[in-house]
Amino acid sequence: MKKILLALSLVMIGIAYHNNVKAQSEEELVQICTMVAGDAEYLKDFRIKLDAGDPPPVQRFPVVLKKDVKYRFSVCNSKDYEGKVILQLFDNNRQLATTYIVATGKDYPYIDWVCTKTGAYHLVYSFRDGKAGLAVGLLSMVGTM
Amino acid sequence: MIKHRVILYQALIIVLLSQVLSSCSFCSRQDVDLSQELIVPDSVIQNSTPQVSKAITDQMMQNISSPVETAALIKGLKIPFNKNFLASTKQADWFNTNFEKAFALGLYGCDLGYLNMYEKTSFVVDYISVIKRLADDIQVGQFFDFSTLKRLATNNENLDSLILISQQSFNRIDTYLSETNRSMLSAVIVTGVWVEGAYLSSRVAQISNHPKIRETIGEQKVILNFLLALLKVYDNDPSMAKLITDFEPIKKLYDQVHITYELGEPEMIEENGVVTFKQTDKQVIEMDDELYNKLITNIQELRSNLLKL
Repeated sequence: MKKILLALSLVMIGIAYHNNVKAQSEEELVQICTMVAGDAEYLKDFRIKLDAGDPPPVQRFPVVLKKDVKYRFSVCNSKDYEGKVILQLFDNNRQLATTYIVATGKDYPYIDWVCTKTGAYHLVYSFRDGKAGLAVGLLSMVGTM
Repeated sequence: MIKHRVILYQALIIVLLSQVLSSCSFCSRQDVDLSQELIVPDSVIQNSTPQVSKAITDQMMQNISSPVETAALIKGLKIPFNKNFLASTKQADWFNTNFEKAFALGLYGCDLGYLNMYEKTSFVVDYISVIKRLADDIQVGQFFDFSTLKRLATNNENLDSLILISQQSFNRIDTYLSETNRSMLSAVIVTGVWVEGAYLSSRVAQISNHPKIRETIGEQKVILNFLLALLKVYDNDPSMAKLITDFEPIKKLYDQVHITYELGEPEMIEENGVVTFKQTDKQVIEMDDELYNKLITNIQELRSNLLKL
């Protein structure tokens, strides 16, 4: 009886610890991404977690961006997953910018965006080749134009 | 004895399952197919108020109005700091209900952004104290990192961190309110940020003829349409209904502002390994001087009214 209770307590402590570690790891990704963004002022972070799929699943976030502001979009992948995150910036239906240039196969940890139109935009995150992944995207401000 | 063991094993399984389910934060995200819900922005720049689902409003809250961008735009125009633009921290006691306190939280949050941007750390402690008190009153104080902010401000150290932690605190408040089904308060906080940001811009407009500040005032039409779309999600609440009514005069004025766009293809430039995409769209705002001055007056009246001045 006592052994079972002890085992139950240990399992609960273990799970609580595991949950804490998981939560911290997302926070750590935000901190890493903040460093990747450099001098740019933090505005918001986006947590992305997607299962594997074909076509690759996406996670979208609507944002309002302002004219005459230079924004920086940074991305950071969790080491625990295979997936490499891609950010695509859209307005109503046009892709405007991306962290992964298909033509060159180059992947960028951050890209800058000089905004000339105040309005709604969409950040669309996915993982290359539809792999499962965990990542953080950061929106920050480089400065005004 | 066997019966006891069976009960304990069942309890163990229930505990395990509940822990696994509660730790699966992503599971809840799958309830909403965002890709289907997000095709709305075109209507947002029209005069009519767009219909936006609650799932979208929850996500958009934080982005509608940012104190950092507003303050940076003002500072970028080389406008000197002016303490008189800010709401007095003494007025914080005038806010009684959670609704009013959430509004004040946004308003002082915007002032904090302005102070941080101008590195006026001597005033920051006053403002973060008020913000902490208001946040405690609406049960979100635990997300406002008061002690770190106070240390940074008092020691005048690492001002970038001051902005970072202020922003993160507000983002956590927003997330928590959303998770605890109190998104309406998030919408009210954002309203406070918008009103104070528009007010700061209007005060600057009275001392500067810079075309950018004129444009900033005019383009608030776009932001206001978003904001009202969010507020209308909660218009069955009497306080919210009144707030929406308070916005009607300024909405009517903004309906007279004409914004048109010329679309262009973005340009990609790579320099020293940094990729910059430059938008080439053009935004043209048309309003005469009379309308411009009315907007300035009306923004200030709205703020006075909501601040109970």
